[in-house]
Amino acid sequence: MEKLKRFSLPGFILVMAVLPHLLDSSWQEVAITFLVFSVVALSQDIILGKSGMFHMGQGLFFGMGAYATAILNNEFGWPILATIPVAILVPALIGILLAGPIVHLRGDYLLVVTIGFNIVFVQVLQNNLGGVTGGPNGIFGLDSLSLLGVELMSQLSVYYFAFAVLLLTFWVMRNLEGSKAGRALHYLREDQLAAESIGINTRVYKIFAFGLGAGLAGLAGTVFAVQYSAVSPEAFDFIQSVLFFSIVIVGGSSIPGVLLGVFVMFVVPEIFREFATWRYFIFGLAMIAAMILRPRGIVPATFGKIPKFLIKGGGHGA
Amino acid sequence: MARNELILTDVTKRFGGLTAVDALSLKVESGQIYGIIGPNGAGKTTVFNCITGIYKSEEGSVNWRGEEIRGMTPYQIVDRGIVRTFQTIRLFSQMSVAENIMSGRHIKSRQSWWHGIIHTPGSRRDELENWKKVEEQLDFFRLGEYAASPTGSLPYGIQRRVEMARAMAVDPTLLILDEPAAGLNDKETLVLLETIFKIRDKGVTVLLIEHDMDMVMEVTDYLTVINFGKQIAEGTPEQIQKDSAVIEAYLGSEDDDDE
Repeated sequence: MEKLKRFSLPGFILVMAVLPHLLDSSWQEVAITFLVFSVVALSQDIILGKSGMFHMGQGLFFGMGAYATAILNNEFGWPILATIPVAILVPALIGILLAGPIVHLRGDYLLVVTIGFNIVFVQVLQNNLGGVTGGPNGIFGLDSLSLLGVELMSQLSVYYFAFAVLLLTFWVMRNLEGSKAGRALHYLREDQLAAESIGINTRVYKIFAFGLGAGLAGLAGTVFAVQYSAVSPEAFDFIQSVLFFSIVIVGGSSIPGVLLGVFVMFVVPEIFREFATWRYFIFGLAMIAAMILRPRGIVPATFGKIPKFLIKGGGHGA
Repeated sequence: MARNELILTDVTKRFGGLTAVDALSLKVESGQIYGIIGPNGAGKTTVFNCITGIYKSEEGSVNWRGEEIRGMTPYQIVDRGIVRTFQTIRLFSQMSVAENIMSGRHIKSRQSWWHGIIHTPGSRRDELENWKKVEEQLDFFRLGEYAASPTGSLPYGIQRRVEMARAMAVDPTLLILDEPAAGLNDKETLVLLETIFKIRDKGVTVLLIEHDMDMVMEVTDYLTVINFGKQIAEGTPEQIQKDSAVIEAYLGSEDDDDE
């Protein structure tokens, strides 16, 4: 089991690196969306899983990144890659501003507020704010990726762009786990009063979680906009946010958990497309079964990753 | 002025119509082991909550080394070297013992928030130094064999030790213990006594609430007795044992406690 754990992530990366060459173009499309949704779900995990804040508006930050790229490319003619910093920073800053007044809210209250933010965002897009969001139809006809003057038109290059973004997200998640800030999130989720009484400014770290989660989701938004060469409001509405929320709840707060969650909640319904709407019946039952059998998710968060020199006598590890 | 570390002056805390702490004053001096005792519901834990910033007292002053700390947030107070434990143990129960103790290093760690995204050689060094500090606490509290175990699965007595280790990891100046012997057996209480003396010998001032009278009389240098939020006596353990008001509060009619 330990061995399986150690090799599962490199194994996954290896498989994903060769995967697009084995798929036809429609399945490549699914694979790209899997990668993009994985990044968004991991960013949701920072807020929901690690920090325990019931945030159901991740579609907002995802959409904000996608629209930042689309607007800058379409209206101002920026190359796609140049829009990335803006697509990260704008959602991150908005995330920080929105989180400031609401992070003290408890569970369900926070949930309602974040749903509200998401709905407001979609309304703003549909009403064509400032004449740049394209209204209900959105924005289409974006440029393709170009690197050093070379146009990367193919679906394969979009796939590897998405894959690179996912790897970057893995790296950030790993850094977060081994840092003071990442541990602070776990502490405040487990017991907020104890966390404050040991010297953690919980408010600052909750806002940090929102900022980081929003920034990563914004980056995923850029990839999403590139994949379809278009953005439209319904891709970022409340139902999408519910999907990301459920992925983290069903999968569990860990990288393998979230990836399995995306697979179960997004790829499996695609595989069973021929069963038409019946697939949602099965999908709903699978969700119920997962929650009853594994209430903390398919692969829950694991703790006890401490430096080796602290483990003496052994055998007590959990 | 003496080396008074913590001075409470006329601290009053009300909950609606109930006055939980009524014009309480006390002085804790550097290097002391100071005890607060009193019957159930006397307001002892409320006093601790007022000192550590969980509650803000309506009136009075909480002075720490010449600085007014009333109204500060709990983490600001921890930053000034005052750390507490809880009567009902509050550990991060899914996390391992070592990770729980590491939370005490949070405020001492020099990492910024952005080190959570990108590590630097400085942040890695800081991380390692803090884990070494955790190792010191694991050794001091003899918790080494449990380092990787989730705290929620450990026996009660060990959880108490983990909570103290977590507080000591902050390198506090004043350690506040809320009923540290509650739920411990005699043998564990003896070990706790030794530990408290060892902590004091490190130069840490200890302020504690305790129900176990034998233990309080043995461990403390100075005591305050409160009942219904008011101070009814103060003095050394010998003086307190002879105090008539204290004897009445403890042995007096049971009815008093119910009110």
